[in-house]
Amino acid sequence: MIGAAPIAATFFDGQTAQRHPVLVSVTSDGSGLILDLQTGVAPWLWPLTRLRALGDQAVVNALTLTLQSDSDDESPRDPARLVITDPDLMAWVRLSAPQLAKRDVRRGTATKIITRLALAVASIGVIVFVILPRMSDFLADRMPLETEVKFGRAVVSQMKYLLGAGKSGTLACNNPAGEAALNRMASRLMDGQELKYAISFSVLDHEMVNAFAAPGGQIIILRGLLDTSDTAEEVAAVLAHEIGHVEARDPTRLMLRAAGSAGIVSIVLGDVTGGSVIGIIGDQMLQTSYTRKAEAAADEFGLAMLQAAKVDSAAFADFFDKLSGLEDGFVPPEYLSSHPSTSARAARARDFAAAQTGTTPILTDAEWQALKGICKG
Amino acid sequence: MSLNSSGNTRYSGQSTPIFKLAFVTGLLTVLTAGIYRFWAKTRMRKYIWSSVSIDGDSFEYTGTGLEKLLGFLVAIVFLAVYLGGIQLLLTFAGLGIMGQPDNELAILASVYLSFFAVAPFMLFAVYRSRRYKLARTRLRGIRFGMESAAWGYALRAMGHYILTFLTLGILLPRQSFYLEKFMTDRSHYGDARFEQGGRWQSLYGAMKHVFIGLGMMVLGGVLAIAVPILGAIIGVIGYFWFFVGFAYYRVHSYAYLTNHKTLGGQVTFVATPSAGEILKIVILGGIAVGLAGGIAFAILGGLFAASFSGMGMGAGPSPLAIAPLIIGYLLILVALGALAIVMVTQPVIAHLVNHLHVNNTEALAGIRQRAADSGADADGFADALDVGGAI
Repeated sequence: MIGAAPIAATFFDGQTAQRHPVLVSVTSDGSGLILDLQTGVAPWLWPLTRLRALGDQAVVNALTLTLQSDSDDESPRDPARLVITDPDLMAWVRLSAPQLAKRDVRRGTATKIITRLALAVASIGVIVFVILPRMSDFLADRMPLETEVKFGRAVVSQMKYLLGAGKSGTLACNNPAGEAALNRMASRLMDGQELKYAISFSVLDHEMVNAFAAPGGQIIILRGLLDTSDTAEEVAAVLAHEIGHVEARDPTRLMLRAAGSAGIVSIVLGDVTGGSVIGIIGDQMLQTSYTRKAEAAADEFGLAMLQAAKVDSAAFADFFDKLSGLEDGFVPPEYLSSHPSTSARAARARDFAAAQTGTTPILTDAEWQALKGICKG
Repeated sequence: MSLNSSGNTRYSGQSTPIFKLAFVTGLLTVLTAGIYRFWAKTRMRKYIWSSVSIDGDSFEYTGTGLEKLLGFLVAIVFLAVYLGGIQLLLTFAGLGIMGQPDNELAILASVYLSFFAVAPFMLFAVYRSRRYKLARTRLRGIRFGMESAAWGYALRAMGHYILTFLTLGILLPRQSFYLEKFMTDRSHYGDARFEQGGRWQSLYGAMKHVFIGLGMMVLGGVLAIAVPILGAIIGVIGYFWFFVGFAYYRVHSYAYLTNHKTLGGQVTFVATPSAGEILKIVILGGIAVGLAGGIAFAILGGLFAASFSGMGMGAGPSPLAIAPLIIGYLLILVALGALAIVMVTQPVIAHLVNHLHVNNTEALAGIRQRAADSGADADGFADALDVGGAI
């Protein structure tokens, strides 16, 4: 037990860098330490309940003590320090001071953390979901056509890479008869239409049921879409829909937004130059998450285009039905799967088809078979 | 506590406790998906700071993990907004990270543009980080501190970097000197100010091995025309000499700059570090950590292969079977990080501290406390941008 004899220690008053020799003794009731500087000033009393020791210290043969106190410091502690080296006193303090290792936090700290966290999440949310889309819309409408086309080429080669092409181009399907059929379908759809973009179609050899529009007018069809379609009209309907996206500059908007989001993701993940984020953009493109409004507009555009070309839009409805069938089955549909309410869109296409008259097949049977075989040889 | 005033600085940190601390905090960081890193950093600093003493008085690190987390949240919002906008505009200009992949120049330009967009913030973060560290450092209960001048630093640093780049590195000593002077002249201990004296031209002495290495590379290149093998040998030696020369420059420029600092016009410093000793620590320590890592990963790989060899040609490894592998991998990574601190970081710090002497420590007694610094972003920018080094 600590006797009445005062023990020599070192005291720093927190006001000057002077080292003060101090005599430390325990109060008679054992509830605190008496610090006597022996300079004539009355001794200080440090109550055990407010005593704190510095944590994670390298020095094992000394104990640095401080006092819990409402100060301006980063922690609510008194700036003064008491360094004791007497083993008995160190042991007694460790045993007797109840909250020696307590980490005091100021009142309202939890609120502060929650507020900051909410603020951080909210502002990043606002950036990603409000400001970036608006900026993308604004910039997409002002992007020079050649930049958009260049941009589209980059997107397409990125896409090919993601779909598993070692070098860009190796996935391309170019059976001459199939290409001729595809060209016939394209001219049937687009002849007489006033389009802002020079639209080009190409087919990639991949089993995914998908088609997507890249910025600048390139529309990519994946072989899976041709395999799943029963009629040429189904394919034509999807292409007309994609042309609608191109004309509305939807892919460009999406890409700009993805690039901006990638900048944000890169900082949150700590990848400043953004190298690993390119994959995220490509992935987002494959998911083609346009807004519902953009989808509905592209649907309307596609239906109008089918009407002008005298192509039966019932095929569009068939395609949607097939998709919802796939949704029930074991194969998750990739194309249009993230698009809004497939059945509602099928109903809309069917209504539209009911009013159509004088439609003719878009391709002959032979041409349709040729198109289906575009990836062969 | 000894009451002498010899001005000796000492590093007293030990290998076992710091390894334990680094391993445990590293593990907690992994388990909390990185969130604990603010507390991990704080606890490591507390240990290292408390290991350094002058005349027996230990330094104290008073930073908190909480303030680092809060600072990080602020920094990340700021940077996210900034970088999101920059990327969007770069993309609009046809560059950005979605730039035309078959145009090398555009890719290069976009990477550099992204980098230059962030560079001012990185330099800003360098100054802020040092300011935060000083603001959370105490000796004898008295705070260190630094004036707020991070943007001024970033601006000057960019100027110096460009100048050094344009002069092919010849003005590197000038850059080192003025950037250190900028920070030192704004640093305080209590109410006493640090001051950086000396001349930048004097740092050329520390550059000598860099120049020797460069000279040998040039000589090797010239010789290679006549005697290819001799030229190649001299060139390769020059190449290594050049890199060792850089280490020598860092150590000796630190020593020169430290020896010409004064505190409050009265306290001076004598640094006598040995570049050879430090190189030895870094190289041997690096080899040891590398070997340990190689062996640990080899054992893990062997165990993994053995556990799957008996499973036949079934379906691929199940997630349950891979879990021990991932856990083992993470454990090894954390242990290697802790080992690097024990084998490299701590010995280098110990060497620097043990070869530092403070003259006239009696004058410290007259220094008075300075006001608390809120710490602003508390390393948040440095953390978000990954600048600031080992500790």
